[in-house]
Amino acid sequence: MNLLEIKGLKIHYITDSGVVRAVNGIDLEINRGETLGLVGETGAGKTTTALGIMCQVPDPPGKVVEGEIFFEGSNLLEKNAREIRKIRGSKISMIFQDPMTALNPVVTIGDQICEVIRLHQKTSHAESIKIACEMLELVGIPAERINEYPHQFSGGMKQRVVIAIALACKPSLLIADEPTTALDVTIQAQVLQMMDKLKKELGTSMLMITHDLGVVAEICDRVAIMYAGEIVEYGTLEAIFNNTAHPYTKGLFGSIPSLVLDVERLSPIDGLMPDPTQLPTGCSFAPRCNEKMSECEERKPELFQVSPGHFSKCIHHKNEMHKESRGC
Amino acid sequence: MSRYILKRIFHMIPVMFGVSLIIFTLMFFIPGDPARQILGDKATEASISELRAELGLDKPFVVQYVNYIEGVLTGDFGISYTTKQPVSAELFARFPTTLLFAIISILVACIIGIPLGIISATRQYSFIDNISTTLTLLGMSIPSFWLGLMLMLLFSLHLGWFPATGFYGPKYWVLPSVTIGVTSAAFITRMTRSSMLEVIRQDYIRTARSKGQTEFKIITKHALKNAMIPVVTTIGLIFGASLGGQIITEQVFSIPGLGKLMIDAISQRNYPVVEGGVLLIAFSFTVINLLVDLIYAYIDPRIKSQFVIEKKKKESTALKGM
Repeated sequence: MNLLEIKGLKIHYITDSGVVRAVNGIDLEINRGETLGLVGETGAGKTTTALGIMCQVPDPPGKVVEGEIFFEGSNLLEKNAREIRKIRGSKISMIFQDPMTALNPVVTIGDQICEVIRLHQKTSHAESIKIACEMLELVGIPAERINEYPHQFSGGMKQRVVIAIALACKPSLLIADEPTTALDVTIQAQVLQMMDKLKKELGTSMLMITHDLGVVAEICDRVAIMYAGEIVEYGTLEAIFNNTAHPYTKGLFGSIPSLVLDVERLSPIDGLMPDPTQLPTGCSFAPRCNEKMSECEERKPELFQVSPGHFSKCIHHKNEMHKESRGC
Repeated sequence: MSRYILKRIFHMIPVMFGVSLIIFTLMFFIPGDPARQILGDKATEASISELRAELGLDKPFVVQYVNYIEGVLTGDFGISYTTKQPVSAELFARFPTTLLFAIISILVACIIGIPLGIISATRQYSFIDNISTTLTLLGMSIPSFWLGLMLMLLFSLHLGWFPATGFYGPKYWVLPSVTIGVTSAAFITRMTRSSMLEVIRQDYIRTARSKGQTEFKIITKHALKNAMIPVVTTIGLIFGASLGGQIITEQVFSIPGLGKLMIDAISQRNYPVVEGGVLLIAFSFTVINLLVDLIYAYIDPRIKSQFVIEKKKKESTALKGM
């Protein structure tokens, strides 16, 4: 049994100016101890997916329209608020994008770490402080700084505190929403290595949300590429990087500068992501796709298996594959 | 911290000088002659100029101001023209009454305003929120003299629960305190609501939720302290203003407070009382401001650390000098 299984999840934001289709029927699985990278540009619905798993989609305007989220075998969307609160912070925890604003400025970091410990574990005040000190040491902050306030820490240090809070109850699933985006490149590497190390030590599964393929290559086992609220390609790290199937993923790789090849210009993907209130009827990537066929604009493509465990959502590619197999 | 307080007290001196100069100048150039007021219409020119000389009103402006400041610095605020009592005695007889009403009304306003603001913010656009928004709008727009009269009409004349005018015991405090408190409560509710609305959308509230914390604890532990800074500012301002601005309410309820004393003094051209009263109000205002700043430091460690950093910087430059 997988630790987390998402089936046909749809999350919409119902606003005055229309329905924003943020997540449109995605399927995801995360095994125990595995790191899944969720990659896509801004507005692809990555964070909304994460909030969906946390049952924290802001309502109103957000609403989980359809789908199921199975965590350790039970559907999170059927649980009541109290049951969800028991899972949040203890079994599933989340690291948010911006460490600068993720910590309460008027509460000491010690109190903020102790809070989550005391919510989920029956410990005395002194014990929870001891655990908090251990967590701080674990993320590389001297324990004597436990009574300091967030403003006394740098950005990278704050993110370490956020990570300490997230891991304090040794969760089985850690959702990291662009944990390094707001940090310097040098600090990024440190934080990533630390997260990877802690994850392995604690046996935690991780959902790594990012738009940085470098980060993905560094720590993910499997990758899901998200575009306009859908997962367009899905497979192991090797499959996605070495055997790229979907034109959008190819486009993403094309827009990364290479250290090896001497290219005059990068080849970015033309155009913009479609307006999520008015998604195209056919393939949502079709308007920007350079391998587009007339069929693409008429019907939604389904996921098909490129190779075992490697799926892609592209009509053109599917047809090509069929031709090849028939040719053989 | 104590160093910061001392510095702030030191800063109060120029403020007080400025206030004294402005009010003294205003009173000097205001039309009307105190000597003529005291002696009445039938007094002779000779007796009037004699009294003017006695009160020191015939001297040039600068000399009069210097004399006044000299007196104030030695604790002598002059003698009231009408009662012949020392001004300081008159002021300190009246000030506690005004202070009492200011404190009661601000307490009532906080007890009503802060919880109502929090409820409004956490249940935005709900029935309670709509009701409270309407009530606050009413509370802010009702003129206090009208509200005072209406309260009197209802609670004294018709129901007979509270006495209408006078100041002889706790029963007499209720109506004036409510009159002053309603407007303050409305302002505090508004401020709490908008400040709270801003805070509960912050990322750290989302972090607290993702820890599995209950909504009640999120509001009381994480949001409230962050939302309090603008509210404390408002409370300080309202409190300061109600020390000097209860004039109308005191008049309506015939309360022997500072406001009534000043109104009477202005109409009688009783210069020393007006000047002393204004100085007292200005002084209380600066003290309240100082208290508000100290409360900031208590609420927000970032503000507190600014004081400490200032101190550290000075120490480090001093060390370099050695």
